Amino acid sequence: MIRLEDVVVRYPRAASAAVTGVSFVAARGAVTAVVGPNGSGKSTLVGALIGRVRIAAGRVCVDDVDTSDMARDALARRIAVVTQREELAFPLLVSEYVALGRFPHLGIWRAAGETDRRAIIDATQMTAVTSLAERRVDSLSGGEWQRVRFARALAQGGDAIVLDEPTAFLDIAHEMLVFELLHRLARGGQAVLLVSHQLNLVARFADQMVLLDRGRVAASGAPAEVMQAEVLERVYGWPLVVTRDPAVGAPALVPLRR
Amino acid sequence: MATRRTAVAFRVAGIFSTELVPVFRFCRFATLAFIGGVAACSGSSHAGAPHGLANRDDFGDTVPFGLTPSRIVSLNPTTTEILFAMGAGARLVGRSQYDLFPAAAAQVPNVGPALRPNVEAVLGARPDLVILYGSEDNRPSLARLREAGIPTVGFKIDRIDQFVRDTRLLGRLVNDSARAEGVVDTVTATIARVRHATATLPHPTVLVPTWDRPVIVIGGGSYLSELLDAAGARNVYADAPAASLVVTLEDIVRRNPDLVLAAPGQATAMRTSPLWRAVPAVRAGHILVYDTAIVSRPSVRLGEAARSLADLIHPGAVR
Amino acid sequence: MSPLRWCALMLALFVAALLAIGIGTINIPPSALFDALRGSGSGLTETVVRTLRVPRVVLAMLVGAGLGMSGAALQGTMRNPLAEPYLLGVSGGAAVGAVVATMLGLGAVLLPVAAFVGALVAVAAAFSVAHVAGGRGDARVLLMAGVVVGAFANAAIMVVLANAESNTIRDALWWMMGSVADATWPQIGIMGLYLLVGGGALVALGPRVDVLALGEEAAAGLGLDVDAAMRWIFVIASLVAAATVAAAGLVGFVGLVVPHIVRAGGARRHREVLVGSALVGATLVVVSDLLARMLRPPAELPVGAVTALIGVPFFLTKLRRLA
Repeated sequence: MIRLEDVVVRYPRAASAAVTGVSFVAARGAVTAVVGPNGSGKSTLVGALIGRVRIAAGRVCVDDVDTSDMARDALARRIAVVTQREELAFPLLVSEYVALGRFPHLGIWRAAGETDRRAIIDATQMTAVTSLAERRVDSLSGGEWQRVRFARALAQGGDAIVLDEPTAFLDIAHEMLVFELLHRLARGGQAVLLVSHQLNLVARFADQMVLLDRGRVAASGAPAEVMQAEVLERVYGWPLVVTRDPAVGAPALVPLRR
Repeated sequence: MATRRTAVAFRVAGIFSTELVPVFRFCRFATLAFIGGVAACSGSSHAGAPHGLANRDDFGDTVPFGLTPSRIVSLNPTTTEILFAMGAGARLVGRSQYDLFPAAAAQVPNVGPALRPNVEAVLGARPDLVILYGSEDNRPSLARLREAGIPTVGFKIDRIDQFVRDTRLLGRLVNDSARAEGVVDTVTATIARVRHATATLPHPTVLVPTWDRPVIVIGGGSYLSELLDAAGARNVYADAPAASLVVTLEDIVRRNPDLVLAAPGQATAMRTSPLWRAVPAVRAGHILVYDTAIVSRPSVRLGEAARSLADLIHPGAVR
Repeated sequence: MSPLRWCALMLALFVAALLAIGIGTINIPPSALFDALRGSGSGLTETVVRTLRVPRVVLAMLVGAGLGMSGAALQGTMRNPLAEPYLLGVSGGAAVGAVVATMLGLGAVLLPVAAFVGALVAVAAAFSVAHVAGGRGDARVLLMAGVVVGAFANAAIMVVLANAESNTIRDALWWMMGSVADATWPQIGIMGLYLLVGGGALVALGPRVDVLALGEEAAAGLGLDVDAAMRWIFVIASLVAAATVAAAGLVGFVGLVVPHIVRAGGARRHREVLVGSALVGATLVVVSDLLARMLRPPAELPVGAVTALIGVPFFLTKLRRLA
């Protein structure tokens, strides 16, 4: 659904390209995870997807339409993005915040219609934030806030959701909840593309992993193929082993001590 | 309603409580507060100041008598004019850039501003007497000139009695009291004559506005109020002790003056301003335009000034 | 915000306006007031009310509304509760225009035009500086460019005033302190036009401000052309602010304080905040003008001084809440 073809991104006044020749496909109904060390270009890719960062070469296609040919709001109707951090200067109620997700769909007078209300209700139910509707967003806990952000992204009503480090500040329980939710979304037909440094969780929930190394794709494919000690050691520059615990059912990376 | 193109502007920054300053073209005498509280001695011919102050200038210092100055620098439009009237104009070697009366004053070299004077330029004229404008702003210059050994005095004439007193002091300073007395007598006699001629006539209330934004008017502490009194009228703000004060149009409407006395530029601006036309006198066209060259300062032409005002307000009364 | 609060806001404005028209050097009792407004009052009262009071109260309302809306729009767009209408050098540029006009003796009619032109030049300069610095849409770069332009404008004013005549200085100072005392109907008409068009545009752009308030990345993710939207909002808000400066000089703190009051009252979506800020801003300036007239009779304080005085306790309460 989202296809990157040889994408190259260069930041102005930078010595080398942030992303070079990255290609992969994030399909509907699957969880695709982009992983890699700091500075490997993960967040840059997200920026390129939403048009905040200019693509020097290659293209990004959504359902075979080049995103540079799409209007911004058209793109926003297809893809929802949940960025790494968000802090509101002026707190809203959760219901108002989620409703903002419908912005790309609203017409000139920006009045919400039946479809919009439906989408908002569905989004709040799927993320289980209905009980939080009348609370102010600055009164939410970290986990609640994250779910509310997902609700807004879902209310955007697209077929794809892109998340940049969605579990960055969450504890184990909330992390698992988030990944379960993402898994459910994918099974429901969404294309879920996430950037994360949580290799082990990603390995358990993703259908496809893309490992970036200094802007290039070092490995891609099913988690079992990507989670190989050799390539991971090289990319991360740290001794590690990859284990497989039958209770977990997916490969896990364990860093060693030097 | 800018009066800057006219010769007269009574410059006051009322909010910061300034003093009334006699003004000539582009005068820069906006300075700090001095609210004159002396009750009007309105130009009848009696001796000016109370005895105790007879020998002090307007900085409060004793005036150095016994000099016979031959190189006088006068940085004060009023005193420059008085010196010329006393025939001492030939002894002037320096004047301020705004000392433009009488016409002969233009021949005297210009040594700079009257407020915060250029002390170097003044010293360059090698004076043996310097007369400053007596405002607090000039105290530093006063100190510096005295340090340099130059006898320096300051005069600030806001009222008719001050004019009388300071003219006499100037006469003693330049060693020509007789001529000084002559100047004083001419002025006081004329004013007395005008007062006598209008004494029995009805006295209309008069507004004398000097600025527009904010609205500044002449108050009871100014010589203009005294002149109006002599000319058979009454300043509608005579009850205010300050020489000038900031008021609002509403207050003027409330006091409802019979006449408005204005400089030429002011008059045209007022007639067309919808805000000023709220004042009944303006709407009815009762605006008298005075001759700024005569009326703008409390100096040797005070008598003429009183006469000209009387002629405007009570035409034909003074023969 | 609940309908009840909206009614309260409108009522407050109405009452403030009536009080401001009725109270002054001459106090006009309510009965005479209504007669005068309808045109059937006694001579003096009617003159004072119709020529002197009503114009200034109307101008005060328009100026307050403009400043309130401009401040609300800028605070939301820049996600900064301390943003205010004079941000992009509007006040500095307008002051330079006014001071230069005063010095050249351009007269009362051209001075507002000069102030407006000065404000526009300053805004354009701020955009240029930001562009050269490489971050056109980045709010922080624009903010700093505005500070630079404002500092330059202050320097220019000092240069002009340093050797100016006392008249020029006084005129300039009086203008810079803000006043609605010289309100005339043509001025009011122009201000009204700017408020209608500019304010209307801001309200229409309200949802975009909501989205911008989420942050630039989130806004872009929702399909908004962030650079263009910010630029539009800056320009329109600055235009409205420039119009208020041209009409009434520098009236500070209104644009800063009013949006906080409105948000404290429960308005969250920016369409509400904008309209609420218009109402509260109008009320604030009307009341300030009334106080300006009553605090030191028979002189008037400049209305900018009164609004500044109001700003101080506001900031104190905000500081306390922070600490």
